Amino acid sequence: MSAVTHDIPEEAGRESFWRRNLHFFLLAPGVAWMVLFLIVPLVMMVYVSFWTQTTFAINSTLTTKSWAAFFGSETYYGALIRTLRLWLTVLVLTFLAGYPTALFIGRFVRNKTLQTVLLVTCVIPFWTSFLIRVLAWRPMLGKEGAINIVLEKLGLISGPIEVLLFTELSVIIGMVQIYVVFMVGPIAFMLARIDDSLIEAARDLGATPLTIFRKIIFPLSLPGVVVGAIFVSVMVLGEFATASALSGRKVNLLGNIIVTQVGSLKWAFAAVAGVVLTAVMAVVITGLLRLVNLQREL
Amino acid sequence: MMEIRGLNKSFGGNIAVRDFSLEIEDDEYLTLLGPSGSGKSTLLRLIAGLERPDTGAIVLDGKTVTGTPPHLRGLGFVQQKYGLFPHMSVFDNVAFGLRYRQIDPVSDQRTVNDRVERMLELVGLEEFGDRMVGEISGGQRQRVSLARTLICEPRICLLDEPLGALDANLRERMTVELRRIRSALGVTFMHVTGNEAEALAMGDRMIVLDAGRAIQVDTPHDIFSRPANVQVARFLNAYNILSGSGQGGAFETAGARLAMPPGVSGAVHYVFRFDNVAICDPDSRGQSGSAQMEAEFIASEFLGSRVVYFFRRPDGGVIEAEKHLSAVDPRGMRQGEKRILRWPVENVLLYGKGGGMLRHEPVLEVAQ
Amino acid sequence: MHHLVGLRWLLGLYTALFIAFLYGPFAVMAILSFQQGPEGGPQFPIREWSTFWYQHVMGLAPPSRIAPLPIAEALTRSLSLAFATMVVSTVLGTLTAQAFRTRFKGSGVVFYLVVLGMMVPGVLLGLGMALVADQLGIDRSWWGTAFVLHVVYTYPFAFLVMLAIFNRFDRSVEEAAWSLGVPPARTFRKVTFPMIFPGVLSAMLFALTLSYDEFPRTLFTAGSDVTMPIAIYGTFAVEIHPNLFAFGILTTLFSFAVLTVYGILMGLSTRRARARFSDMQEDIA
Repeated sequence: MSAVTHDIPEEAGRESFWRRNLHFFLLAPGVAWMVLFLIVPLVMMVYVSFWTQTTFAINSTLTTKSWAAFFGSETYYGALIRTLRLWLTVLVLTFLAGYPTALFIGRFVRNKTLQTVLLVTCVIPFWTSFLIRVLAWRPMLGKEGAINIVLEKLGLISGPIEVLLFTELSVIIGMVQIYVVFMVGPIAFMLARIDDSLIEAARDLGATPLTIFRKIIFPLSLPGVVVGAIFVSVMVLGEFATASALSGRKVNLLGNIIVTQVGSLKWAFAAVAGVVLTAVMAVVITGLLRLVNLQREL
Repeated sequence: MMEIRGLNKSFGGNIAVRDFSLEIEDDEYLTLLGPSGSGKSTLLRLIAGLERPDTGAIVLDGKTVTGTPPHLRGLGFVQQKYGLFPHMSVFDNVAFGLRYRQIDPVSDQRTVNDRVERMLELVGLEEFGDRMVGEISGGQRQRVSLARTLICEPRICLLDEPLGALDANLRERMTVELRRIRSALGVTFMHVTGNEAEALAMGDRMIVLDAGRAIQVDTPHDIFSRPANVQVARFLNAYNILSGSGQGGAFETAGARLAMPPGVSGAVHYVFRFDNVAICDPDSRGQSGSAQMEAEFIASEFLGSRVVYFFRRPDGGVIEAEKHLSAVDPRGMRQGEKRILRWPVENVLLYGKGGGMLRHEPVLEVAQ
Repeated sequence: MHHLVGLRWLLGLYTALFIAFLYGPFAVMAILSFQQGPEGGPQFPIREWSTFWYQHVMGLAPPSRIAPLPIAEALTRSLSLAFATMVVSTVLGTLTAQAFRTRFKGSGVVFYLVVLGMMVPGVLLGLGMALVADQLGIDRSWWGTAFVLHVVYTYPFAFLVMLAIFNRFDRSVEEAAWSLGVPPARTFRKVTFPMIFPGVLSAMLFALTLSYDEFPRTLFTAGSDVTMPIAIYGTFAVEIHPNLFAFGILTTLFSFAVLTVYGILMGLSTRRARARFSDMQEDIA
C-alpha cells in the first residue's frame, strides 16, 4: 500500500498532462484531415483559377485570363444563371412537395412505429445507386415512356407528350424526385418533436387550426426546413449527372462545365467555374445558416 | 484524515463554493445541509475530483490531491441518480471497481466473487446478483450504488442526496441502513442533503452551507439548539424569525413590543422555536418570564405525531407553534380567532445585523 | 378536431401519391430489367419477358456486343473503399464528438470546419484534390485521393450522429466509474462504448452507404481503376442497356438484406436496453 500511495503524485502529473491536452488529442486527427483534404484542395482551386492555361497544360504564371473568358462567354455565365434558376426551382418544388408529406408523417401519424415505417419507405429508393435512379427516369418520361403510355391508354392525350424528356423539365422532375426526401426527413423530425401540449394549449385558447399552423407548427418546423434546404442546395448546386443524363446534354450547369473542362484538361478554366460555384454555395449556405443555429438544434 | 483548505470555485462568474475549509475525521458520519443552489453538489464534486477548484487545496493523509484525477483519489462517490451501468448485472456493477480500477485491481475471480457476495449481503441484495439493473427497484438500485462504492474500500465515501430519489417509506428505512452499514465498515461518510431532518438525524457532525460558504459546523444537537447564524435557524425550519430592532430590553417588531433577554444590544432578528410557543386564551394574564404576542389563527397541519398551528401576526407575517400530540391542547380553534402566543424569554435567540448570534447568558433570573 | 379529419385524409392521400412518385421510376426499372436481351433496349414495350439481363450482370449470359459491367473488380473496390471509409470516419467522428462533450474555445470554428465537409459540392472537392495531386505529382487512385475525400464527406455525418448520441448520454455513469478508481480510457472501453454502440452502428451505416454510392468526388480522383458508380457513369456516354436496371434491382435487394439485419440488431439491442432502462426512468421520475 505504501508503494501505491508513493506513486500518486507522479501518476497525477502524467495524467493531468493527458487531461490538460485531451481536447487537442481528440480534435487533432479530424481537424488535420479536414485542413489537408478539404481546405487545401479548395485553396488550390482558387489559386489555379489564376494560372495560365495552355492547350493541354497549365503553368503557374498568374493571370486573370480564364476569369475574363468565363464572364466573356454567354455559354459560361449562362450556365451560372441556369444553375441558379434550376436550384431555386428545385428548392421551392422540393419544399412544396415535401412539406405536406412531412406534416402527415410528423403530426398526423401518432404511432411511432408507423412513423418510422413511412420514413423508411421514403428512404428505400436510395438504396439503389444514384446514377441508376437517374437513368430510370428515361423509360418513365420518354416518348414511348410509361407516363405517355398510361396517359394514352386512359385516353387523356392523343399523341405522346414530347416535352417530358431531354428538356429542362425532365431535369427538374428527376431532381425533385431524387432530392425531395432530404426535405421530408428533417422537417418530419422537427414536427414530430413538437410538444402536443403546446398545440392543445393553443386550441384551448381558441386558436383556429390555420392560426396554430402559422404561429406554432410552421415556426417550430423551420429549423427542419433550413436543414433540408441546405441538403438540397448543396446537392443541386453541385449537380451534373442528372442534367447530362436527362437533358441529353442540352442543359449545362456549372457542374457540367467543370466536368467537360477537366475532360479536355482545361484545369484553369475548370477551376474558375469551381470558384464561382463555391462563391454561390457560400452565399446560399451562410444565408440559410443565418436562419437557424445548426449547432444548437442537435 | 482529509483536510480541505480555502476551496473556491465559480462557474462563469457565479460563485458556487466560497472559501470552504473543513477537517474530516476518520470513521465519522458527516452531514452537509444546504438549500438547492448552495453549492453542496459542487463541493462534493470538487472533493471527488470531478471539478477542479479555482483556488484552495485538498489534502488527504498529508498528501495534496487537489490536481489528482478522480480515479486516483481513493474516494467513493455515490450519486443522486446512482449512475449504475445499465448494460451490466448487479453483480458486475458491484465488481466493476475491484476489477478495473487502476490502483490494486483484483484479478482473481474467486476473491472478486467472495467480496461481491459479502458486500451484497451487507446491503441486503444477496438474491439479486444476477438481475440486470433495470430489473430492480429504486431502493435496490440505491443499495447497488452504495455497494459498488463501498467494495472499493474508499477512505471517504461521498453521498450526494442519496435518499433524494426514494419515497418516504424507503427513505426512513435507508436512514437506518446507511448508519448501520457505515458503522459496520468504519468508513467516513460525507452525506449531502437538502433535508434538515435527514441532516440532523444522521450526522455525527453536521455542516450548514449557504451560498457556497460553511456557516456552521457542529454536532446536530448544538446546531439545532443554538444555530450560530440566523440563516442556519432559517434552514432548520424549526424557528420563528421576527425582524425588527432590540432596544432597552424590548424588541420592536412591526406591531408588537416583545420582551427579550437582557444585556444584548444591536439585535435585528428575534428567534424562538416552534415548540416553545404556548397557545393561550385572548383574555389570559401575562406571565413573568414570557414574551407574548396577539395573533390570529389561520390553519393547522396534522403531522402524525405532532400538530403545527399557523398564526397571523399583526404585521401579516406567520408564526408557527408546534405541539406534540401527547401534550396537545384539545380546544378547537376557528379560523380568524384571536389567541395570545407566549414563549419563554430565556429561550429566545437574538441575532445581529450580520446574521451572527448575539451571545447572552442563559437567563435564570427573570428580566425586569 | 372534426374538421381536421378531412385534412388528415387529404394529407394521407397526398402522401400515398408522393410515395408513388418516389417509387414510379423504381417500378419501371424493375419491369424493364426483365426485358428480352440482348436486343431489347431500356424502353417500352417489353418484347418478351426474360431474365437475360440478370444473367448478363452475373456474367452468365452468352457473350454479345454489350460489354458486361466490370462487377468483380469495380464492386470489390467500391466495397473495400466503403468499408475503409466507414471505419476511419466513424473513429474520427467519435473522437471529435467526444471532444465536443465539454466546452472549449474555438468549438464553433471546429464545428463548421467539420460540417463544411458535407456542404461543399463533391465536384468541387474532386477538382481541388485532382489539382493538388497533379501539382504534387501524386498518382490518383481510389484507395488514396478518392479515399481521403470519401472520409471528408462521411466524417461530418458520423460526427453529427455521434454528437446527437452523446447529447443524450448520461455523464454520471462515467463519473461513477472514475470515482471507483477506473481510469478514463478503460471507462470509455468498458462503459461508454458499450452504451453508445447503437449510435456508432448508425454512424457506420451512414458512412458505408454514402461512400458506397459516392460519385462526384470519386470521378476526378479515382484514377484508372474505377469504382462501381464510375463504371456506371461510364455507360452514360455510350448506349445504356437494361443490365444497369437488373444491377440496380440486385443491389437494392442486397441493401434490403443489410438493412433488415441492421434493423434486427438494433431492435434486439434497444429492446434489451429498454427492458433495463424502463423502470429506472419511472423510478427517477
